[in-house]
Amino acid sequence: MRFDFTAEEKEFKNQLSSFLDDELPVDWHGPADESRDDHWNLNQKIKKGLAKRGWLVMSWSKEYGGANASPMMNTIFAEEMAYRRAPGHDRFGTRMLGPTLMRFGTQEQRKKYLGSIASGKTQWCQGYSEPNAGSDLASIQTQAVDTGDHFLINGTKIWTSLAHRADMMFMLARTDPSADPHKGISLLLVDMKSPGIDVLPIINMAGIHSFNQVVFDQVKIPKENLVGSLNDGWRAGITVLNFERSGIDYAAWARAALNELIDYTKHDDSETKIIQSCPSTGQRLAELDVEVEAARLMCYDVSYRQGKGEVPSSEASMSKVVATEAYIKVLDYGLELLGMYGVLEPGSNQAELQGRFFKLRMFYTSGPILAGTNEIQKNIIAQRGLKLPRK
Amino acid sequence: MNFGLTETQEMIRGSAREFLLENSSPETIRSIGDGDQDAISTLWQAFVDLGWPALIIAEEYGGTGLGFTDLAVLLEEIGANLAPTPLVESSISSWVIGRYGSKYIKSEFLPKVASGEILITPALVERDASWDPKTTKAAAIKSNSNLIISGEKRFVSFAENATHALTLVRMQHGDLAMVVAPIWKMPEVEQTRLKHASGVPVSSIKFNEFEVSDLNVIAINDQAIQAAYELISAGSVARSAQLVGIGRKVVDTTVEYTTNREQFGRPVASFQAIQHHLAEMAIATKQTRHLTYAAACSFSSDGYSPEAAARAKIAASDKIAKVCWTAHQCHGAIGFTWEHDLHLYTRRALAWKTDYGDPVFHQSLLANLMGF
Repeated sequence: MRFDFTAEEKEFKNQLSSFLDDELPVDWHGPADESRDDHWNLNQKIKKGLAKRGWLVMSWSKEYGGANASPMMNTIFAEEMAYRRAPGHDRFGTRMLGPTLMRFGTQEQRKKYLGSIASGKTQWCQGYSEPNAGSDLASIQTQAVDTGDHFLINGTKIWTSLAHRADMMFMLARTDPSADPHKGISLLLVDMKSPGIDVLPIINMAGIHSFNQVVFDQVKIPKENLVGSLNDGWRAGITVLNFERSGIDYAAWARAALNELIDYTKHDDSETKIIQSCPSTGQRLAELDVEVEAARLMCYDVSYRQGKGEVPSSEASMSKVVATEAYIKVLDYGLELLGMYGVLEPGSNQAELQGRFFKLRMFYTSGPILAGTNEIQKNIIAQRGLKLPRK
Repeated sequence: MNFGLTETQEMIRGSAREFLLENSSPETIRSIGDGDQDAISTLWQAFVDLGWPALIIAEEYGGTGLGFTDLAVLLEEIGANLAPTPLVESSISSWVIGRYGSKYIKSEFLPKVASGEILITPALVERDASWDPKTTKAAAIKSNSNLIISGEKRFVSFAENATHALTLVRMQHGDLAMVVAPIWKMPEVEQTRLKHASGVPVSSIKFNEFEVSDLNVIAINDQAIQAAYELISAGSVARSAQLVGIGRKVVDTTVEYTTNREQFGRPVASFQAIQHHLAEMAIATKQTRHLTYAAACSFSSDGYSPEAAARAKIAASDKIAKVCWTAHQCHGAIGFTWEHDLHLYTRRALAWKTDYGDPVFHQSLLANLMGF
């Protein structure tokens, strides 16, 4: 066993870090609010910069513009990006759709789409959840009817992050309504500029427009936009979800917030201190340090196993649960330390740390909910990991 | 022991529910959150017409003469509805004035509070955000029969609507004094509005050599400190009662949503993971309720139980915030939207977690009372 990085890994982390030093504004605290043009432009600029340096899709094979980087390197990349709260990561294209097309896509699809993901040109979004299909994803009702020369799509997708900025969407739609729920679904690629698509903003409880409702009304898409076989989209779609499920972003965000709190607590030398530092403050911060480091190691274990060719499904679920929970514990303690100031919202007079902890706490209420609720993850851990009986 | 409501309390609860349902809609609450001052005035005037600010004021001063528990029953309903009005601020101020004020002070202020002519709000916290009265720095200099006050009070709820602030100042010799200071449209009293999660108007107020008659002094020295602690305890129990209302409402809403929401062909409430969440939410709300009413019942014209008040606030602060977060988990994505009302309850619960002292403050108080 060893718990440090190799020289090569360290070197990469340093290079990425100094790249971000150059790219991020001096007073950048993130997270990016992609509905703001300045933040979106920053996202695009960083994404193209990452692409230029070969980092955006470094885990892809050389054939598609990658560098065959190990899952470990990929996690180091994700950790550093999240620690800096930097935008431009593009997990939809690089981490989800790209690997799926490599496995299930046609030669033409790979040629057509992978290049523009690797260069950072095309923004993808993910059209999975529907108003009545959340945890129970197989119950989606959006229909794609084969009319002979194209598919005709009708239905509604919801909680679609970045749909308001995306060029393309990969979506699950029902292509055989008479089949079993899992068997009549197909994975399709949709140009967001197609006539009949309406993107309606949804504002989240932090007051930010991060996701959308996307309504499809008689939307035509070419037949060649089907990924994999007709009615076999569930397999391809779930593969995508496996790429999605890792807690490293949360573990890194938790570390960033914890370090910010430690720094703030130590450097409050104003005459009337807002943080009444006492022995228990240090103990609580130490307790959180343990939680965050444990979560981080859980995430790296997933990458280690992936690097050996395993599919660590239960471990990935564990990492998502512990990292989302650790982040929330850090944010909650931040609010506790800030006391009366903790509930001043961003933009308030007399706010401390720009009201950031409050906004983050509101925003990351979504952590234990999205990408498979933590309850669903615990079912996976219990049933697939511990092999507990289902009934 | 008797855990039931009296006839009067049943009546208060019934009329509060009926009134709030009709006059304090989610739209009203949101518009007040967005800064609609007229909506606050309209709602508050209706509260005055119903006699609610007069509820715990003694009959000899124009009040109804009911007790703190009766008030708690009303506040629980207001908490469940989220109605943004200064009933807590007004009630606890009049309570402390009734307990510590001179005959003159009481006849001067209480009848006007009861009739809605004036509104008094507590202003205790300063820049360090500490609820410990002994940390008071705002200074008062005696000049003939006036006090000249200078200093800043932060996190004052409804300062924009209040005519007076019930505040603490430090005299030249270091003694504390509790004063009722007029603040309505006073050029020497500067107000700074804060963007506060509670969704009610909260401001900081700054006294710039502001002259107040010494007739407005309610208590000095140890009496002032005692009065300040009673104000904090009363505020804690009042907030706890509102938090009980929030917990109850959030449990009900979550039971309803998870029962109607189906996934995997069955209500999500039929899954054990969700049932356990809901069971814990229900337990937490009930625990808070018992501790809160035990504390409310301890308030009388002879005194109150500071232990019970601290226990209530510790439980209400921690447990009801947790109830709200668990409700978000049970609601999934829909409860994460701005459009859904759940976050209004969560914001309120978080804001009130620290108001009148957070759990750490009250744990210290309680430990102190235990002799540590």
